[in-house]
Amino acid sequence: MKLHIVNRSPASYRVHEQALAAMGPEDRLLLIEDGVQGGLPQLVRHFEAIPGRLYALREDLEARGLLGRCDASVQVVDVDGFVQLTEEAEHTLSWY
Amino acid sequence: MSDEHEPLAGDLLVILRHAPHGSSWLREGLDVALVAAAFGTEVSLLFMGEGVTALVEDQTAGALGQKGTAPTLEMLEMYDIETLWVEAEALSRFGLDADELMLAPRALEAGAIAEAVRKHPRVLTF
Amino acid sequence: MRYAILLMGSPYSDQASHSALRFARALLARGHRLEAVFFYHDGVYNAARLSAPPQDEPHLADGWVALHEEQGVALQVCIAAALRRGLMDEREAARHGKAGHSVEAPFELTGVGQLVDLSQRCDRLVTFGP
Repeated sequence: MKLHIVNRSPASYRVHEQALAAMGPEDRLLLIEDGVQGGLPQLVRHFEAIPGRLYALREDLEARGLLGRCDASVQVVDVDGFVQLTEEAEHTLSWY
Repeated sequence: MSDEHEPLAGDLLVILRHAPHGSSWLREGLDVALVAAAFGTEVSLLFMGEGVTALVEDQTAGALGQKGTAPTLEMLEMYDIETLWVEAEALSRFGLDADELMLAPRALEAGAIAEAVRKHPRVLTF
Repeated sequence: MRYAILLMGSPYSDQASHSALRFARALLARGHRLEAVFFYHDGVYNAARLSAPPQDEPHLADGWVALHEEQGVALQVCIAAALRRGLMDEREAARHGKAGHSVEAPFELTGVGQLVDLSQRCDRLVTFGP
């Protein structure tokens, strides 16, 4: 299992499509920085191919005032949880 | 182990997603690939998204004579970097065919890309 | 586990450096070891000796130096990316006939080979791009 990290918003970039194309059936995807916009209900459809494997970074949601607006299907983790995700993955790939 | 349809995996996969000339990403990504190969790492290259345009023929130097990346790409064989893949979907987006590109890369569909990534113990994205 | 970070975003222009430093602190807090941070692309600006952010903003360069002093984290700056962008230590400044220098210890100018080496000997290499 690999962890894919996306820091760009799906509203403006296609970076998430590259991450999705590279993802295996067990891989997880973590949204950080502007990428957390992808957790909004109107944008989360971009990630419908990976149910249960989408994460977003709490601190970056909070800083943007988006924590309460994040879709319930997204698993919110703090930075300690981010490290934990990298522990559980055999490798990480960043898409920026 | 691998048949014709299965990507052969090396030690390190370098994914190049940027076009030549517009930024230094392609050059800097290639530098990592070349240095890794010089260190004896088996390197595979995957051109994704705009990165597929790195392989268009007839490139020249850029503004002010700034070197492009095409001369570097021509040296890949000297570094024993022989596994070259391009994202099939990106090719069609740009209206390119794999057989009109330099270095004769192999086009990978989305499923094969995930497989190539899975098989490499190390992957770097540029 | 042994971690390394590859940082390629410019400080203060992109969040990448803040994210990387925050991640570095979090992995150390979980008991891991951070072998090195490798600065590449515009990430090399993190090593600028004369960086002077407003006092009410995080001082990124000081943050990296603190990681080195407290935890022995190596701060490796790609020399090719640095020289092009006007970042050089005293030795390189002398070699290039420049009057001043813009990088100093504990940041060290090094080659891309170090990044390859880190990717081989660390359990995890996490990239922060712009």
